[in-house]
Amino acid sequence: MGDSYGGGYSRTSYNAGGGDDAGGFVYGGSQGGSQSAHYLTLPTSSRRATATTPCAPVTIKQVIEAEQAYPDAPFRIDGLEVTQVTFVGMVRAISPQTTNVTFRLDDGTGIIEVKQWLDADKQDDTSKQAFALDSYVRVWGRLKSFNNKRHVGAHVIKPVADYNEVQYHLLEATYCHLFFTKGAPAAATVAVYNWLSNSEGGNEGVHANIISQAMKISIGEVLKCGEELTSAGVTYTTVDDETFAILDY
Amino acid sequence: MESISTPRISSQLIDSYVGQNVMVVGKVQQLRGDTAVIDADGQITANLNRDAHLVNGNAAQIIGKVLPDLSIKVMSSVDLGNNVDFKVAQAVVDATHQCRDLFVFDADKGGMMMG
Repeated sequence: MGDSYGGGYSRTSYNAGGGDDAGGFVYGGSQGGSQSAHYLTLPTSSRRATATTPCAPVTIKQVIEAEQAYPDAPFRIDGLEVTQVTFVGMVRAISPQTTNVTFRLDDGTGIIEVKQWLDADKQDDTSKQAFALDSYVRVWGRLKSFNNKRHVGAHVIKPVADYNEVQYHLLEATYCHLFFTKGAPAAATVAVYNWLSNSEGGNEGVHANIISQAMKISIGEVLKCGEELTSAGVTYTTVDDETFAILDY
Repeated sequence: MESISTPRISSQLIDSYVGQNVMVVGKVQQLRGDTAVIDADGQITANLNRDAHLVNGNAAQIIGKVLPDLSIKVMSSVDLGNNVDFKVAQAVVDATHQCRDLFVFDADKGGMMMG
């Protein structure tokens, strides 16, 4: 199992359950040996440059609960510094102000105010931008605090055309949260899972000996991976402690 | 900024949420007057409000309060068309309950018995 974690952050290729042996984890992360303290930061020195800071996919609850050590300190989510975030939400209210348009967005986890500042030069196209109440939008923006009130300064707000994007976003936020709090699953564990899900074991499962032979890894390794998968709740043991099946509801 | 959540649930979880506001994504199976039956890993009866525009056979997102008879008094409903992957919707329900930290403010402890 080569360490083929790629260095970069790529949006859509986690490949959950896919068959390739890299396991599809493409975030530059702890496995790459970087000590990055940034959400989704590429393991390079470009970290300081704001323009290249990636967006953390988050839920609105995470935005509300982002911590600040002291006023004006950087925000932290899951203990990692975060400036740019992206999230989805239903438009609950729109209030045009002289300098900005304030939206109240609700994603079912919390409600947050999002301000889109009006650009005097481009007044026309910003004022044309209209979102229907109760429609979903995606926001890319920056966490802000003003008079102890938290809001998000939007760079871009776009309507969500496909509802599956809402679901996708929430799963991506969950994935990132788990990745940064629990770390990526070991490549071998992912490989065993992928092998099992492509096998014909069904409800009866496959014995560790067979997995070991088929995958050409030691029986000890298989048992370790199996235990990890079982404690994560994605596989279970069947006839004995050494026979594993995919928990598929 | 408000710390209020409407957790995404399926019919399997509804009895833990009596008295609380929840969100359900499912398929509209039946529309009769102001009542809809929605399939979200099992059937849920929704008491619609006047401005509901759901379509039979389409996906819908409803937000409302769970009544003691386990039906939902709908406050907001949206027709989602016919291109919603219900397996993904169910995955989001699972994620919501496996990672409550990300999704649910438990301020309203009045509801208790949160799994």
